[in-house]
Amino acid sequence: MKSVSELTDFYYKVLFPTLEKLEDDRKSLRKKIIIIGIIYTAIFIPILFILLDGYINLDLLAFLAFGYFAGGTFIYKIMIKDYTQEFKQNIISPLIKAIDNGLHYASISHVSQHLFDRSDLFRAPDRMNGNDLVRGEIENIKIQFSDIHAEKKHKDSKGRTSWSTIFKGLFIVSEFNKNFAGQTVVLPDSAQSTFGNLIGNWLQSKNMSRDELVKMDDPEFEKEFVVYSTDQVEARYILSHSLMKKLLTFKHKSAHPLHISFIGSHIHMAVEYNKDLFEPSVFSSLLDYKVAMEYVKTLHLAIGIVQELKLNQKLWSKT
Amino acid sequence: MSTSLIVLIVIILALILMYNSLVAKKNQVENIFASVDTVLKKRYDLIPNLVASVSKYMEHEKGLLEEVTKLRSEANKPNISDEHKMALDAKMSAALGSIMIAVENYPDLKANENVMHLQRTLNEVEEQISAARRAYNQAVTDYNNALEMIPTNFMASAMAYKRKEVFEIVESERKNVNVKELFN
Repeated sequence: MKSVSELTDFYYKVLFPTLEKLEDDRKSLRKKIIIIGIIYTAIFIPILFILLDGYINLDLLAFLAFGYFAGGTFIYKIMIKDYTQEFKQNIISPLIKAIDNGLHYASISHVSQHLFDRSDLFRAPDRMNGNDLVRGEIENIKIQFSDIHAEKKHKDSKGRTSWSTIFKGLFIVSEFNKNFAGQTVVLPDSAQSTFGNLIGNWLQSKNMSRDELVKMDDPEFEKEFVVYSTDQVEARYILSHSLMKKLLTFKHKSAHPLHISFIGSHIHMAVEYNKDLFEPSVFSSLLDYKVAMEYVKTLHLAIGIVQELKLNQKLWSKT
Repeated sequence: MSTSLIVLIVIILALILMYNSLVAKKNQVENIFASVDTVLKKRYDLIPNLVASVSKYMEHEKGLLEEVTKLRSEANKPNISDEHKMALDAKMSAALGSIMIAVENYPDLKANENVMHLQRTLNEVEEQISAARRAYNQAVTDYNNALEMIPTNFMASAMAYKRKEVFEIVESERKNVNVKELFN
């Protein structure tokens, strides 16, 4: 697999002509958005005054503000649609092919909800969407990942519905190199870092929605994560000392909260980004190094897990 | 009257909870030792095949091969104590490690399909043993902690619970001496 710097080279060399063209599109798009934004606001303000009619009605004001933003977002989304398509087709897709030719990219699909539910990492969502699905085989290991946004529906006493985010970020599913029968879940450790070892551990062991608490013998790993499993021995069979080290490295590299589960001979990894990934920047340059690095690094991180976690080193019994 | 009754009930409840948690910890240790035992047995079962496949070639390591065979028959004896099993396991790991390193000196052996298969199987069993040992050590640590920490230590001494030994994990083991890696 190509390194991050090789990919950055690819981004600036091979993709440069396309980038330049897209950069022009972006500039004119930005101009359009600003102009339409001003017109939209200019139309909205008189309407606001007419509707308020001299009174300050807080409910109405909140409603109008909500309408203003919803309408604005809607218009914005329509305006950037073509540009986004163009960007994904001409930049993200070749970038993925450059990393590994065995991968396929579908900008509007996402990892199926079935896999998301199977991972057992989060509560079952009421609504799930996502995009930028990448799937394929790397060194004979099947892998797929995409952007995921899973939400939960809430109803308050007045019957109004609202949505809260369960998970937003990168969701990766890959075959795992060891056989196992049970379920092992690795979550970010919040209790132990907040309450200290003794009380934190006690709270973790009282988590009713999870299986048995597994205390790992790697202090650094134990500080970062909490492990629940149906089988104490199997959890340690999966999480060998070397895998724990590799997961820690992965965690530090991604610098985002990481949830991992081992279920049904697959590894599921959810990296919380709290934003939509692989979307083109509209207000900053595509040629900007930081922008480029974000695309390259995120892709490299996700696709790199096969080598990073040595998922390709299958054990004898699993061929 | 009523306050003293409440105090009494609370004390009794606390005693029951302490008692139960100690028993649970002791049983957890025994449970996990059973899994350790299963995987150890799995490894012992590989020994005859291994010895048969390599003995033709390994003239200089006859002593090693005899040792693993001896260790195996000793481990197969009924009614041996847990401590003894752990000691045998440590010796066995060391002896098998030496055999695997010795195999390096015999190109014919390295290429032998049966030996390769054995090594991979052994490698996997080693990983399972390592996992079982680690689980056992954690269970024993929890148990030993309860034996020494206030307030369960009073209850534990009343129940005549004794400290248990953990498996010693040698430094080389931590790195998972990888039979497969020796061959790359």
